Order: sequence, then structure tokens, then C-alpha cells
Amino acid sequence: MKLRLALTVATLALAVATPALAELKFKPGEDARFNWANFEELKKVDLKGETLTVFGPWRGDDEALVQSILEYFREATGATVNYASSENYEQQIVIDTEAGSPPNIAILPQPGLLADLAAKGRLVPLTDGDASFIKDNYGAGESWVSLGTYKDKDGASKFFAFPYKADLKSLVWYVPENFADADYEIPKTMEELFALSDKIVADGGKPWCIGLGSGGATGWPATDWVEDLMLRTQTPEAYDKWVTNELKFDSPEVVGAIDEFGKFARNDAYVDGGAAGVASTDFRDSPKGLFATPPKCYMHRQASFIPSFFPEGTKLGQDADFFYFPPFASKPELGTPVLGAGTLVTITKDSKAARAFIDFLKLPLAHELWMAQSGFLTPLKTVNAEAYANETLKKEGAILTTATTFRFDASDLMPGKIGAGAFWTGMVDYVGGKSAADTGAAIQKAWDEIK
Amino acid sequence: MWQRIRLEPSRFFLHLAVLLIVAAWTLPTAGLLVSSLRDKDLIATSGWWTALTTTERSEQARMKPPADQVQKDGHSEISGNLFEGTDHAGQISAFGTRVQNPAEFSAGATAQLQDGRSLTVNSDGSYVYTSPTAFTGDRGQRVFFVTSVPPKFTTDNYRTVLFSEGIGRSFINSLTVTIPATIIPILIAAFAAYALAWMKLPARGFIIAVIVGLLVVPLQMSLIPLLKIYNATGFLSKTYLGIWLAHTGFGLPFAIYLLRSYIAGLPKDLIESAQVDGANDFKIFMRIILPLSFPALASFAIFQFLWVWNDLLVAIVFLGSGNDQLVLTGRLNALLGSRGGNWEILTASAFVTIIVPLVVFFSLQRYFVRGLLAGSVKGG
Amino acid sequence: MLTQVFWAFATVLIGVGGCVGYFYASNLLLDRLFPASASNDAHAIRNLKIQSSVRPWLFLGPALVLLCVYLVYPVIETLILSFQDKTGSRFVGFDNYAWAAKDTQFRTSIFNNFLWLLVVPAACTFLGLVIAVLTDRIWWGSIARSLIFLPLAISFVGASVIWKFVYDFRGEGQEQIGILNAVVEWFGFSPQVWIALPFWNNFFLMMILIWIQTGFATVILGAALRGVPEDTIEAAVIDGAGPFKIFWRIMVPQIMTTIVVVWTTITVLVLKVFDIVLTMTNGQWDTQVLANLMFDWMFRGGGDFGRGAAIAIVIMLAVLPIMIWNIRQANAERGGGH
Repeated sequence: MKLRLALTVATLALAVATPALAELKFKPGEDARFNWANFEELKKVDLKGETLTVFGPWRGDDEALVQSILEYFREATGATVNYASSENYEQQIVIDTEAGSPPNIAILPQPGLLADLAAKGRLVPLTDGDASFIKDNYGAGESWVSLGTYKDKDGASKFFAFPYKADLKSLVWYVPENFADADYEIPKTMEELFALSDKIVADGGKPWCIGLGSGGATGWPATDWVEDLMLRTQTPEAYDKWVTNELKFDSPEVVGAIDEFGKFARNDAYVDGGAAGVASTDFRDSPKGLFATPPKCYMHRQASFIPSFFPEGTKLGQDADFFYFPPFASKPELGTPVLGAGTLVTITKDSKAARAFIDFLKLPLAHELWMAQSGFLTPLKTVNAEAYANETLKKEGAILTTATTFRFDASDLMPGKIGAGAFWTGMVDYVGGKSAADTGAAIQKAWDEIK
Repeated sequence: MWQRIRLEPSRFFLHLAVLLIVAAWTLPTAGLLVSSLRDKDLIATSGWWTALTTTERSEQARMKPPADQVQKDGHSEISGNLFEGTDHAGQISAFGTRVQNPAEFSAGATAQLQDGRSLTVNSDGSYVYTSPTAFTGDRGQRVFFVTSVPPKFTTDNYRTVLFSEGIGRSFINSLTVTIPATIIPILIAAFAAYALAWMKLPARGFIIAVIVGLLVVPLQMSLIPLLKIYNATGFLSKTYLGIWLAHTGFGLPFAIYLLRSYIAGLPKDLIESAQVDGANDFKIFMRIILPLSFPALASFAIFQFLWVWNDLLVAIVFLGSGNDQLVLTGRLNALLGSRGGNWEILTASAFVTIIVPLVVFFSLQRYFVRGLLAGSVKGG
Repeated sequence: MLTQVFWAFATVLIGVGGCVGYFYASNLLLDRLFPASASNDAHAIRNLKIQSSVRPWLFLGPALVLLCVYLVYPVIETLILSFQDKTGSRFVGFDNYAWAAKDTQFRTSIFNNFLWLLVVPAACTFLGLVIAVLTDRIWWGSIARSLIFLPLAISFVGASVIWKFVYDFRGEGQEQIGILNAVVEWFGFSPQVWIALPFWNNFFLMMILIWIQTGFATVILGAALRGVPEDTIEAAVIDGAGPFKIFWRIMVPQIMTTIVVVWTTITVLVLKVFDIVLTMTNGQWDTQVLANLMFDWMFRGGGDFGRGAAIAIVIMLAVLPIMIWNIRQANAERGGGH
């Protein structure tokens, strides 16, 4: 008993010595780009003495960013907010919820995983008001709502996850000056993209850097390629059916998209390091080839987060820029499809502060504060687009809003076992030489097994 | 004893063989050490062994912007040094103006470019860029060159790791977790091992078999059942006591297994004569067994210390990942970006974490000294 | 900062002191309650009997309690889970085991685990023994041993980075950053994607564990070798035995128990091997092993506890032969004990 008491005292003493609160990044009222009225509104919510635990995927520099946003919530409401993350946050959240010690708020980028958690009854549904807010105020609102709607334990569909922060995937990164030196034009169609690739090969260069390596998640970058090409060869309806497995993985439509990816990744002349290197090159290392002298490659298809892996000092828009991964001219009916992803905020343990936090995310200010720093895109229409920190972000934001078709990362929507398992490994096998039909069949078999 | 057995011709080969083995074993770690001292962009772009020699490398630099141009003899001129603003200087052997061909002209030559422009780059990096018309634009032109790069090291990576916020706190947390989590299992296991080796017990063989079987229980499997207990009891969850007990529980099978086989091997007559003298088992254990099993205790201590010190999973699950609770491994892990891949942090932190275990190893190593047990113990 | 250090120190003291206190106090209590020096002999003998039947449990008690809570209970829980569906809510009999038997990934894992079991413990023990003997006979032996031990002290994340710089692959004609491919290219061969080479990639992963664990074998075997009595060796030398004969006939038999302990420990470790596979390949390119497969089914993408638990049970069953061997060993020693 004494031991326990002393320990409690000891842990208490350790807990009291928390570091001093960080400063607010932008002083309220000073910068006209921000909706400071929101901050005043937020001050009316009194959460003094309440503690909110937030678990999210952001670590390192990103954690500093999310902390800078949370700081406004702390300052205005008086709540204590503890943010935590983990290297294996996907497993961590399963462990925490299963063991009955979840955080108040869990933020995850995988809708598939959230759907699993919802089905096990680990998530608390959000209100209908939350759903209609997204529908009315987010660009392509309906699709964001369906992204956050899952079946609960009893099989009833409810809105569980509030999207906050989007990522854009259909981007091809390049070095403008390298293109200028060699007189390369930015391709407007997929046909032009292939022609450009061939031209680069003819000039003695390698057009692409592709790396699928990602430790335990090796293979995922290839799923983005296949999804992007699926949207460019098939209708959005077919894409949606693919996500729910109404359209089988071994169907000609999907196999066709995989083969389309093979035209890039399995072509030794196209890829830096040859096809053999694709699966083992780390995705974080592969964009560095763009900046080598002479360049190891001229183009790199990757989502909007990738500039954090560019060499230090790279100026976006000048030293590196992106163009939209173009559609096939031969399929004009498909328009300009865009592939994206987003992080979703869910309540894993209900409390007054948790609800207030969801309401906080509805304020344009909560978005603008991050937009003004880096790496944040939002589909929220009520924000001030001037708040974006740079032209590149603003341009990405424009792609997000002008897309004729917007679809979410299919691998994130599929059941975890497929989207974060069989699909990844299947793509590694495919790049290693397995035929597209066999690859599709193997992934389909894995899917049948978990049904 | 052993040294006295001379193997005359093989003495040289003995040293050679050990040297080769040690070299093979150290080489990968040496690579890590060298990498941790390199510039972070270089770690993933060139082999670490090249860091030790002067190498030829193609690089690029930017000339001064057109804003800095001066008028001279009727033409515009920009001049400066390509190494300006960088902390390294090298010898340029060739240069070029197109990225595809960084070695188009040799150093000192004058390249005639489009629109009557010309560029001269000397081997020391100084350049003169002239044009009959004024330069426009707001950025300087890129120049590519082949240069010899002398070996260059940096302590920046270590600075990033060592001066990151909260690292001192995490260091203390790590010690608070590790020291009891090493000593407690040793004590408990030593008593249990003695009981299993020398005391009259029903079902002794069965208990030993179960303990050996438990050696193989995968840790990940027991996390969720345990967390449920922890949450139910309340006082264990997220406390030091909780994590000590967890590490003790996970470490016990190995500890008991290792110590029992050692203690069982101690000479029987030592214990019997003590019993004749009227000592009870507690005294025998404290006065005879404990001092005699020091080498075994020390070796287990090292392994348990290493395991706990380098553990991330148990710490995060049982102690939590909040700022106040993070242990050193967790703190270093948090330094990595959301998508990982910061080789410079990984390499430097690997060496930062290794320091404490090495100190422990070296301080305990003297207990393995030859002769400590010579003649008194028949086996391991 | 100073208060933190103080509290940390106090916490450590309380923890360790509590543990020491238990053993001391419980034994003192036993001696007081049933004093061996009682007034009459009958009493004393009875008390001694009670003491000797209670004391083992005082010694063993904390260990048994902790083992039950931290390992036995989860094992039982897992056994139950392995007969249930993925959310643990419905009984499905042997379905999960039947699924495993047919699953190709599971079969690959069994095969790979078998390879690991065959190679790694043998390699570690052999290398450890050789290194322990060799380093024992040179003046810089302890430095050499420390360097061999070094990998054991490196955190797992560190180790995976280290081996990235060994096995990394870059296409032909590019600058290699993995030293293995650099060496291969230097000899004029073309670089290989080592971790994706069918079948052989398993051995490249095993190499990592051997690299880490040989230090363990060296330390334990080295300590045992020092315990070999001098006189037996001297006697052999006088008899004119050569060094190899001394090694195989005199030393190895004397430390056989330790060799077996090392072998068993590494075998058990191999059954649990998981981090290496997870970080290097995550089981791709046919390198899957049971422990990683289990982790995959338990926590990846929502998880299927039933299948994960079934795999865990298979891992535990794999240790059965070792358990049986150890029971026999313990029973054989019984004659040596009391």
C-alpha cells in the first residue's frame, strides 16, 4: 500500500513538471488572412479542467505543426490537450481500443481501418449536424461524407469520421530548369507523357524515378499508381465498384490498369535503376534522383507530401514543381480525374471536450492556421485561400477544387487486409515479374478469404 | 593456464583469425558510425566508404542573380565564386551549363553560349559570365561542374538528436524504467532458480517445463489481455510499477532458465556442508549462492538491461506516449517524420542509445574475469 | 531537472527496495513464526519441517505469480481466441487452424521458420564458441569480445539501418550505397537485389540475427569456459593432448550444459523472430515467418484475432520438443540436487 502511494506521488510529481506552454504561432487579430472572429467564438467554449487526449499519425516536424494548431484550442477553451503519436500508430490504436484505454480523439488516414474499428463498436458516432456540415461546406461534400460513414456494430450506417487535412495524389514532380535545359514540354495528355518518356530515353536519360520501398509497408506507392491509372482508364463508377469488390481484382478492367502501371515501372529503359530496383528502392530516397547532376530521372509521380523528402533548401515552384498526372486523350469522357486522400478525425472516447474539438475543426481558422504553415490542403470552401503559405500549395488546392472527378485512395478504402496488405504485396510481386492477371488473381483470392 | 599452452606456428594465425572475425563483425557498425557523421543528403546518395576518400563528384551551383550584374567594356558581367556560401571548397576539373552534360568544358576554358554569352569557370570556383545584352530574370543561372570533394564530416546529426526538446527528461525516464526492470527480475529469478535447483518441491519438473515453454510466448500476443487487467486495476496502468512488472514478467522465463541451469551446476558439497552447519536456505542463498552466481547474474543483467533499454513497444503500450512519459527510444522515434526515413536521425540516435548499454557492459565485464570461479564450478 | 532526477531516483529506490524487502521480510517472518530454535526438540523439528515446506514457495512465489499474470493468462486467453472468429465473439471450432493449414503464406512461414531454426542457433553457438576460445588466448581478447558484443547493444531500429547500408541495391552503373553490392561490382559482377533473391534472401536476413546473437553466445560461453577447472586441462596437457583434442574432449563436454542453454535460448528467439523480417521485407519475396504473420493478422488493418491467435498457438507448439527435453534434463539433475 505504501509502495502504491509513494508511486502515485512520484508519478504525480513527474506529471506536474510539464514544459511551459508554447506560444501562439500567429498573434490573434494581427494577420488579416485569418478568421480571427472564430477565435473569439471559440473563447466562449469553457473547458477549463477538462483533458482531451488526441492520438494522431503526425510525428517529427508534422507534430510541431499539429501542436501549433492545438495550441489555439488550448488557449481559447482552457482545456488541457495531450497529443501523442507512434511509429506504428495503426497497431497502437487497435491495441489501445481493444484494451479499453482509447484516447478521446483518434486521427487516422485509413478509412478502411476506421471502418473495421466502427464495426467492432470502438468508435462513437458523430452527429447528423456534423455530416451535413461536411456535405454543405466541403468541395465534393457528398464524397467526403461517404468517406466518413461506416457500419456500426449492429450494421447500421453512421457518420463516424470528420475529414480534416487532404492530400493530393495525382501529381508528377519535376525540375523546371532541367526540363528547360532539354526543351521538354509539360505533357497535357497521357499520350504526350509516354511520348515525352520515349524522348527522354532517346536523349540518353531515364524519365522516371519510382521507389516502392517503405519498410513494413513496402508496395504502397504502386497502389497509388494503379488507382490513378484506373481512374484514367475506367469510369468513376467502375472505380467505386472496385473498392467494394463488386468489380473483381482479376477482372480485365483492373488487370488493364495494373498493366498500364507496368508500362512505366517494368520498363528498364524508363526507370532509374531498372525494374529490378523499383521494389527495393525506398520511396523516400527515390525523388532525390530528380536533383542529381546529371539527373537520374526527370519525373516522379507522388502525392503532395513528397517535398519534405526533397534535398534541403529546395524551393518549391522554382527548384521543383509539379504537373497534373494527365488523362488519356483517347478517353475524353473520363474528364480530369483526381486521386486524393485525407486524414479523418474520430471520437474514440466521448467527452464534452471531444465534441468541442470536432466543432473547432469546423471553423475556417482551424484550417487556415495550418494552411499558412506547410503541407496542408483543405476541401473546406469557407477558408480564405490567400492563407496558403505558397503558390505550390495554392495550385494544389485549385486542382482539388477543379477536378471533374474526385476519388479517394482505393487502398485506404478497402479492408485493411487488402488495402494495407495483399494489394501492397501483390504490387511488389508484379514489379518482380509476376503477370498482371496472376497478380490480380492472388489479391482477389486474399479478398475472398476474408469475406 | 591457457596461455601457457603454446601453439607455436599458429600464434600468428590466431591473431589473424580473430582480427578477421572482429573486422567482419564491426564493418556494418562502422558504416553506421561513418554515416552518422555525414551530411544528411549524402547518406542516401553515396556509399559511406566513399566518405573517407577524396572523390570526383558532379555538382551544381547557382551564379549570382542578374541584379548583381555590372557593366564592363560595353557588356554585362556577373562574376563570383561557385563555392561562395558553401562551407567546402574543391578543385573544379570541368564544368557545363546543361544538366545533361556537367563536364562539357574543362576548367579555365571559356564556353561560348547562345546569344553571344560566354562563361569561364576556373578550377578554384571563380567564374565570369558575360553577355552583350543585359541579364534578366530574378534567379541566377545554374552551373554544373565536376569537382573533387575532400572528406567532410559534420556533427549536425548528433546535435539534432542530443539537443532535441525533452531528451533529458526521456533519458531520466529511461533510467527510471530500466534500472528496476533489470534488478527486480534478477532478484525474483535468482530466488526462484535456487528453489527449482536445490529445494524440495512437488512438481518441480513440470514447473521447469512450463517456464521453458513460456520462453516462446510472443510478446505482442499478451499485450491486449494485459492492458485489460491494467485498466481494470487502475493503479498499474501508465505507472512505473506497471512497466517494471511487465518487463519483469516478460524477462522472467529467460532469467529463471539461465540462472537455474547455472545454480544447479554449483558444487553440491558446498551447499551440503552449509546445511550441516545449520544454515537455512535463505542464508545459504544469500551467503553462498548469490556471490557464486555473480557471473551468471551479471550476464543476465546485461541482456535484460539491453532489452529494456532498447525496447519501444512495451514502453509505449504500458507507460504511454505522452510527452512526460516518453522513454529515450520513444523520444528518438518521435524525431523521425510522420513518414520516417530520416537516416541522419536514425544513424545518430543509434549511437546515442548505445552509450549507456556499453558502459553497463564494460562495468559488468570485470565480473567475468578468469579464475573467479576456477576450480569451484564444474560447468555453466 | 533536479527534482525530476530526485523523483526518478526515489522511484527507483522504492521499486528495488520493495522487492528486496519482500524476500527479506517474508523469510524473517517465517523464521519468527516457526523458530527452529524452539523450546523443545519436537517443536523445533516440526518447525523446521514447516519451514522447509513453506520456504520454497516464498522463493518461488513472486516468480510464479508474475509468470501466471504476464504469460500464462495471456496464453490461455490466446488459446480461447484461436477457436473464435475475428472479433472474438463467435466460437468457430478448428476453422482458424484449418484455414492456416491451407494458407500458402502460412506454409511458406513454416518452411522459412524451419530454415531459421536449422541455421541460426547452430551458427551462433558455433561461432560463439570459436570466438570465445580464440579471444581467450590473446591479450586483446576482451576488446575483441566487446566488439563482437556491440551489435547486441544496438537498438533494433539502428540495426535495420545498418543492414540497409549493407544490402541496399542501386541499378547497374549507379553509385551503390550498399557495401555488399559495391564489393560485388568491384569484382566485376552485376549488383543484386539481395533481399528479393528467391530462397537465398532468407539467409541474408538470418545473417542479421547471427550478427546480433553471436555476441550473446560468446559472452555466456566465455563465462562458462572460464569455469572449466585448470587441473583437468593441465592434466590433459601433461598427457600430451593437442589443442583440438583439449577443446573437443575436455572443454566442450564440461560446458555442455551451457552450450545447450545457449542453443535453446537462441532457438526460442528464432521462433519469435519478427522485427528483422518486419523491417527488412515485411515477409515479402517469400521471407514470411510465423511471428510476423501472427503480428500481421493481429494488428494489421483492423486485425483478425482468431487467425492471429491460431498462429501464436502453433509457434508455442513448436517449442514442445524443447520442453520435453528440458523436463528430462531437470529430472536427471534431481539426483544431483537434494
